[in-house]
Amino acid sequence: MSENKYRKVRIKRGPKGWGGPLIIEPKPGRDLIYSVTGGGIHPVAQRIAELTGGRPFDGFKSKAAFEEIAVAVIDCGGTARIGVYPMKKVPTVDIYPTSPSGPLFRFITEKVFVSGVRPEDIELIEE
Amino acid sequence: MGELQIPPYGEEFEACRVKECSVIKYQATVTYIGPLVSEFLDSGIVVLFGEDAPEELRDFAIIHDGHELIESIIPGDCVQIRGETYRINAVGEVANSNLANLGHLVLKFNGANEVEMPGDVCVEARQLPEIQVGDTLIIHAGDRQEEKE
Repeated sequence: MSENKYRKVRIKRGPKGWGGPLIIEPKPGRDLIYSVTGGGIHPVAQRIAELTGGRPFDGFKSKAAFEEIAVAVIDCGGTARIGVYPMKKVPTVDIYPTSPSGPLFRFITEKVFVSGVRPEDIELIEE
Repeated sequence: MGELQIPPYGEEFEACRVKECSVIKYQATVTYIGPLVSEFLDSGIVVLFGEDAPEELRDFAIIHDGHELIESIIPGDCVQIRGETYRINAVGEVANSNLANLGHLVLKFNGANEVEMPGDVCVEARQLPEIQVGDTLIIHAGDRQEEKE
């Protein structure tokens, strides 16, 4: 393919959310939209995948190398997942409106984390 | 009821205060303890996940083989680990779905009566048990009311 098959999105915080906006653009070899949520691929992850051309991936069903993750989508209640992915410098989207908390809070910055995100908070960046 | 199916825990089980009338809501055996669990333990937090949790979460978590939440957890229930029983004071709004879907539970041994985060389950502020592989974790309905004599 001569042109990039991936597209860029802006993900902004939802009501009562924190952080962001994140700009996400999958790249070859780093194109997983990694859903670490209960009940399969979350609609937010699905929308990011549809808009960017990234691959939706269920972190609880299959294993992936860290370097393959373009963005992690979590439904974290505020203690563990909220910090683990930012610590690994993986851009992280929490569907709950959490703020930095938990023992790993120091890794959670607005450059790498956004919360309270709904599908409508994700928009394509036209170039 | 006398028909409760309770696996053989031996003397350790006898020593704890679970009564036969208590409804067991969740039951699991610890199968793995992540190398970074102390990051959370030092803050009085125990993070549990089911066996499907990805590697990066296993690092910070106590992994267990539980898979069925029989009844939602509510304040007043008890968590029993290594024969120690802790009363549950508060349950966050997403704690039950986390447990049912992912085997995920965040236990905060802080004695708080209100959760700080929606995933929290706050229990008595007492010394944490030294959890080891093979330990049993049971969440059962509270029976403190009946215990009063």
